[in-house]
Amino acid sequence: MKKRVKKIAGLLMAATMVVSLAAGCGAGTESDSAETTSGEKTSGDGKEIVFWNIGTEEVDKAIYDKAIDLYNSTTDSGYTVTSVPTQNDTYKEKLIIAMSSGECPDMYLSWSGGPMNEYIKSGYAQPITDLFNKSELPDRLMDAAIAQAKYKDDIYAVPFMNVSLSGIYYNKDLFAEHGLEVPKTIGELEKVCDTFVENGITPFALANSTKWTGSMYFMNLAARKGGLEPFNDAVAGTGTFEDESFIYAGEKIAEWTEKGYFPEGVNSLSEDDGQARQLLYQEKAAMDLIGSWYTGLIQQDSEEFYEKMGWFPFPALEGSDADPSIMIGTIGDNFISFNCKDEKLAAAFDCATKFSEEEIVDFMVESGKTPPIKGIEKKITDPISKLVVEAANSASATQLWYDQYLPPAVAQVHLDTSQELFGLTMKPDEAAKQMQEAMKEYLEESAE
Amino acid sequence: MNAITLRSRVCRIVAVIFGIFWTVISLLPFLFMGLNSFKEKFEMMTKGVFALPDGFYLENYKAVFQGNFFRFFFNSVVVLAVSLLILLFIAACASYPLSRFKFKLASPIYALIVACMSIPIHITLIPVFKMSKNMGIYDSIWALIGPYIATAIPISVFILTSFMREIPKEIEEAAQIDGCSRYATFFRVMLPLSKPGLATLAIYNGVNMWNEFSFAYTLTQSSANRTLPLAVWEFQGQYSMNMPMIMSVLTLTVIPMILLFIFAQDKLVKGMTAGAVKG
Amino acid sequence: MEKGVISLAARRKREIHTAAIMFLLPVAVLMAIYIFYPIIDTFITSFYKWNGISADKSMVGFRNWAKLIADQNFWTAFKNNIVVMVLSICIQIPIGLALATLIDFGGKRMTIFKVLWFIPLLMSSVAIGFLFTYALATNGGIFSAISQLFGRGNIDLLGNPNTALFTVIGVIAWQFTPFYMVYCMAAYSNISTDVYEAAIIDGANKGQYFRKIAFPLLTPSLKSAAILSMVGSLKYFDLVYVMTNGGPGTSTELMATYMYKQSFVKFNMGYGSAVAGGMFILITVVSLLTMKLLNRDRGRE
Repeated sequence: MKKRVKKIAGLLMAATMVVSLAAGCGAGTESDSAETTSGEKTSGDGKEIVFWNIGTEEVDKAIYDKAIDLYNSTTDSGYTVTSVPTQNDTYKEKLIIAMSSGECPDMYLSWSGGPMNEYIKSGYAQPITDLFNKSELPDRLMDAAIAQAKYKDDIYAVPFMNVSLSGIYYNKDLFAEHGLEVPKTIGELEKVCDTFVENGITPFALANSTKWTGSMYFMNLAARKGGLEPFNDAVAGTGTFEDESFIYAGEKIAEWTEKGYFPEGVNSLSEDDGQARQLLYQEKAAMDLIGSWYTGLIQQDSEEFYEKMGWFPFPALEGSDADPSIMIGTIGDNFISFNCKDEKLAAAFDCATKFSEEEIVDFMVESGKTPPIKGIEKKITDPISKLVVEAANSASATQLWYDQYLPPAVAQVHLDTSQELFGLTMKPDEAAKQMQEAMKEYLEESAE
Repeated sequence: MNAITLRSRVCRIVAVIFGIFWTVISLLPFLFMGLNSFKEKFEMMTKGVFALPDGFYLENYKAVFQGNFFRFFFNSVVVLAVSLLILLFIAACASYPLSRFKFKLASPIYALIVACMSIPIHITLIPVFKMSKNMGIYDSIWALIGPYIATAIPISVFILTSFMREIPKEIEEAAQIDGCSRYATFFRVMLPLSKPGLATLAIYNGVNMWNEFSFAYTLTQSSANRTLPLAVWEFQGQYSMNMPMIMSVLTLTVIPMILLFIFAQDKLVKGMTAGAVKG
Repeated sequence: MEKGVISLAARRKREIHTAAIMFLLPVAVLMAIYIFYPIIDTFITSFYKWNGISADKSMVGFRNWAKLIADQNFWTAFKNNIVVMVLSICIQIPIGLALATLIDFGGKRMTIFKVLWFIPLLMSSVAIGFLFTYALATNGGIFSAISQLFGRGNIDLLGNPNTALFTVIGVIAWQFTPFYMVYCMAAYSNISTDVYEAAIIDGANKGQYFRKIAFPLLTPSLKSAAILSMVGSLKYFDLVYVMTNGGPGTSTELMATYMYKQSFVKFNMGYGSAVAGGMFILITVVSLLTMKLLNRDRGRE
């Protein structure tokens, strides 16, 4: 007994020593034997370019791998690109942790708007205007997509992946069954909703514990009421979030909630867990205002059910001057930012252009994506995607999601208050006031 | 007399009902986790999470096994084994003087360790990331061992110290009278007597380390160095996740822990102290 | 070797000190690197205005701290944490003790239950969060289904700000009760079989044995369990983040989720660090005070 204890203790001591030695001297040998060669660096040495992205799941991963392989096999620059995928929810945190330690990958995925501006202001994104203008990209990419990659007067990122616009997916069968037509105005939409409520069907499948899902209703309603100026003015500090269009959006949401347009317990349903799609699939709900990535998602879930789906843009508001062609969303939902210089930057940029190369674009379209490429409508055969691209092309302007466009601190307030509107725990004017206060505080602090 | 037997019978019935009730409550979520792992994605969404699967759909498991699952599993086992062994040993070392020695600094040190229980894990991520970089162990499973041990130290020392305090003094004194040094007393008397406490710690910390997530994704980046909790990434995209697939990964993740528990709970048998006094 | 006459007591004291240092050294080194350093780093950061990533930070003195003290949301989160703490202690420890007692009294035939009752602690928060959001959902959830059996409507526990916090507490209790069960099992194993046998020979029944003998012997362990539960609930993060992310509104916001949002979502690392610092101070004060109070009782006994 005693001997055994001694033996175990000895073993433990030995183990402690070995590990602390390994930790102290650096376990270089370990990472050498690892399968990938990315090694210990967030940014690659010499001829290696490290590319952080979120392609962990099958379809996206294949797209990244294909584009990067294409670059690595055709380039004569001597550089190779290594892909480092991290899951979306943890990706942003990981990026912040790396950057806060002064580390930054050579290429990384970002989103347009508030967070991208923070990266730029902090010096982790290099302007690529010259490279961009000399390349084929201005001819290839949609202008609206390029506009989103701009900060002040420079271009900082290459848009790719998906045209994601918010619009309403609806169940054609259910519409036909109840003799309904696609609504052209908000008034007509409300009539459609009333019919569904009377027949025991929830009009909108909304899962709002995720918050940004409900925000889409707010943004669309506000844009149909007053166009984009109220928002732009409020952000610039010349206007206010207490403008009538935001109050209108808040009031409509409260009214629709009371009328039962949203599922019961809307704030506890989770979009991430697929609870909104569940309502659609069970035919308990007839419509869903959501980003156009739903096309790919539903197709992957069930081709058969997808046949039932139709799509229309958020309808116009009667008696409002606001341009009803305005769309809410993002033209290219992912962007590639760069943090390297000179020759390496040129190589990394070259790799980013591969994502709009014919071969890759075809593959993306096959996988249910709508890359932000000019003339993409000619490649697309899917009827809903065609409608989405048409809407994108004919839109007089595209408003990026508030929660992405706004400075992150203000964006969070927007998400929280709009969720409370759905829960009827906050009055529209109260929500507007909180938003305005947060915006004012941000503007004051950044003016210092 | 009759009243007493009646009362004890009522007590017994209440106990049995409570036991059954709790068994159901503990088991149901686990069962549904297992059941959903045999469903096809669309089936789970249309028929709901709580319906029985249409049949045993094994594609999920097949896909999981075709992925990097075994690599992640191996990494997790190595990290867990090394971290846990070191942790238990050094926590026992630290708890011994804190519970048994009379010296001035004992209670301030103890208070300090208790205070350290209250740090939120997220504040350690950035400094630990920086250090791992500097030490050159970033993106290897060895980077995980340090933080795993260190973050578990406060709670482990706290539990073990309070546990060791309850070990009767006579046993230790007897050993010292027999001429054992402090070190010998520790190895020959305190360590064996602390087995139930150590088993509790092994179970608790083992589960935490097995499921640990934050350090795992902060300190590794290549897929060869990921641990099991990150295995679900392959089924989580930007806008959705494949829940049945994730459920199969999680079911496979839990099973080794259940086995470990069955093995470790054996150490929590009543009468350890009595046995040690006799032996 | 000895120059003068060193008293036995002094030598003993020195010997105790060297032994204590030897025993504490490994823990001290690891904690210094991985815990003390981050704490100090956090407190330093809390005096800066910093977005978390930029190379330039500006020193703002106590401004973050002043903001923290005036921050209504932080105190709401603290209040929520206190509710979680009180209810966790009141739910988890008694049930854990009851389960451990059943196992202890039941002997060998309870082994299977030991394993079954332990399973919740083994499941990852991701799985728990997912299954419970579905179980609690108004669409096809278990609770709503039960309520419909009785002819009532759906019940929305997570989406209602008045019930969300309590619902989350229930799920947390489900997850952590097994830990207190194991903890109490270990405490039971510290009571020697002799004591139990003597009591039974004296004619005590199991209820009497539990009340008169076992419970007093378990009290010190239960006190430690209370402290553990206290610290654990005050810094709780996982399930709340997965299930409600602090919502609806701020009804389930906890200090840790608030801190996380400030630091990693809102790009307010400086203020986030002040929140973390405040949290650290509050938890430490609360737990050390409780410990002192509990130990004073113990001195009296």
